[in-house]
Amino acid sequence: MPVVPELEFKTMLDKMGFHQPKRFLINDREDYKGEFPSVLKVSSETITHKTEIGAVVGDIKTRQDFKEVLKDMKRKFPGETLYAEEMAKKGVELIIGLIKDPMFGKLLLFGVGGFYSELIRDVTFKRVPIDRYDAEDLLGELKFNRVFDGYRGHKVNKEILIDLLLKISDFSIKNEFSQIDFNPVFLYEDGYLIIDAKLVV
Amino acid sequence: MSIDLFSVNSVCLIGASREEGKVGSIILKNLKRSFKGEILLVHPTADEIDGIKCFRNVEEIPHKIDLGIISLPSKKAVDAVKSLSVKGCKICIPVAGGFGEQGEEGKQLEMVMKELASKYGSRIIGPNCVGVIIPRIGLNTALTSEEKSRFPSDGPVGFVSQSGALGLLTIDEFSDFGVGFSSFISLGNEIDVDETDAIETLGMDDGTKSIALYIEKIARIDDFLKACKKVSPSKGIVTLKGGQTDSGNRATSLHTGSLLKTSFSLNGIFRQNGIIQASNEIELMDYASVLALGKPIWGKRVAVVSSAGGVGVIATDTLENQGFKVGRTSDELASEIRSKISPIGSPYNPIDMTAEATNFQYESVINQIDKSGEFDSILAFVLFQTFGVTEDIIEFLKSYNKTGNTPIVIGAVGGEYTRKTMRKMIENGVPTYPSISRSVAALKTLEERGEYLRRFENASSS
Repeated sequence: MPVVPELEFKTMLDKMGFHQPKRFLINDREDYKGEFPSVLKVSSETITHKTEIGAVVGDIKTRQDFKEVLKDMKRKFPGETLYAEEMAKKGVELIIGLIKDPMFGKLLLFGVGGFYSELIRDVTFKRVPIDRYDAEDLLGELKFNRVFDGYRGHKVNKEILIDLLLKISDFSIKNEFSQIDFNPVFLYEDGYLIIDAKLVV
Repeated sequence: MSIDLFSVNSVCLIGASREEGKVGSIILKNLKRSFKGEILLVHPTADEIDGIKCFRNVEEIPHKIDLGIISLPSKKAVDAVKSLSVKGCKICIPVAGGFGEQGEEGKQLEMVMKELASKYGSRIIGPNCVGVIIPRIGLNTALTSEEKSRFPSDGPVGFVSQSGALGLLTIDEFSDFGVGFSSFISLGNEIDVDETDAIETLGMDDGTKSIALYIEKIARIDDFLKACKKVSPSKGIVTLKGGQTDSGNRATSLHTGSLLKTSFSLNGIFRQNGIIQASNEIELMDYASVLALGKPIWGKRVAVVSSAGGVGVIATDTLENQGFKVGRTSDELASEIRSKISPIGSPYNPIDMTAEATNFQYESVINQIDKSGEFDSILAFVLFQTFGVTEDIIEFLKSYNKTGNTPIVIGAVGGEYTRKTMRKMIENGVPTYPSISRSVAALKTLEERGEYLRRFENASSS
């Protein structure tokens, strides 16, 4: 199954109006024009689990650090495309995914995202397209659901999340894919950011 | 497309046998025992079996045949399907295996058989299945032994299964518990009639009030969901889905795929289409029976009534844990209840009538709660171990379940006497469950049903 290079997929998502951190294609250190801290990543067709092999370095605090990380990464991954993003502040971490299942057809996954998502497995699925009621149902079906009413200072905006789910449902109808991960998606009081996006066609 | 299973007047058995224990002999025995229509037999040599005349072949039969049961090995079964279809028989059930489940050659035979049948407008259930049970007309094509397995009574639950054996075992257990069935359809290899056809068939039958479905695979997902959406506003559908989906095997590098593979929760997908999901065969039957016997619940406020303090407390904990509200009765209602029950009881919620409870107290308290309109549902534990509570309470519960405004679910806990009485309650249409957790789960099912119906109404009015 071919993995679409992350940078390519992310650029496509920009055009569709999905919110993501500010991103810069990096050839040399002058190319980064964003705020710090920053994250430097390899965009690859073959590497899907980047963190484990050091193909993503986050929390780069200064221009000087950036220069060193870039040098190191160019040495470790010669010839690979590199890009950097402004590092987003943490929000409520969610996973939203799409999959084409041979029996059920196109499904949308929604659940608790981030590093522990596969361990916690607090997820639920709907067939696409979904309507507003289905989207609300997705929130309600998680054990985690009380977080959407605000939990320990994490305030979120349910309406923004529901709109995002509907937008992804709409995307899933108009596009072909085998699997898509948006993981994590950070949800805030006033918006969301898709931090990582992977597409397998 | 629906099939005409409920008005079968004549059944033709091909492959009947005299030999005790043979498939053809067991099926004949079961037909003779209960089938209300005409039984026709085809046998190449015998003139009669068990006092029923045998025809040499299908062509010789002068009557119309509504349904044919074929108990012959695969190649001969194909020929039998052909003769029956040519004769105008509408439903053919080849029960034996030896088809697609055994490889390419079997698949070829299935294709030939299906083409033959559809050419003459006949439908095939199976092959490799136990066929159908329609208690209303006494039709039973299954290989169950009278001595060891209970033939279900006619009732409101329609049951469709991709596993014949699991279906029969479950029917045996729940028939003993008093649950009645409108039908059992074993789909087998599903070369023609599939789960979608079955849903459409049961959807059109007035005797079927709810549908239970055991499925491992769904052949035509869009048609299936469309059929469910069409039927579910009038009949509750419960599904037990066995086996995991295999899409997780592909491209496992992404989280979504591995989460789908490991997730047992297809709940969301079923809910979206008005289907309630069960996670085992007990839930499948409990939910189907409560959907058939009970009324939809339109809110989360539950009144818990019992004669055993601890039962009420655990039920309350379980309910609240699932998002229900077991709130205090108003002062007015509490004083009404207080005047009816023992002074050492509790008129608040959970309402505890203590071991001094009587049939009359149950009746008064339940009616009082209903009148108050303070609750969306009543969970009453009718416990027969004390003196004042007897079988006579069934009459009241039966009529309350029909005419009361506040939906009710009954729980009971106990041994032989309780089981016997519960059975009578269910036979009388009172939704009754044999434990605290099962009665709460049944109540929850009615609440989900209400939620779905409200959504459905909103969707169709907007």
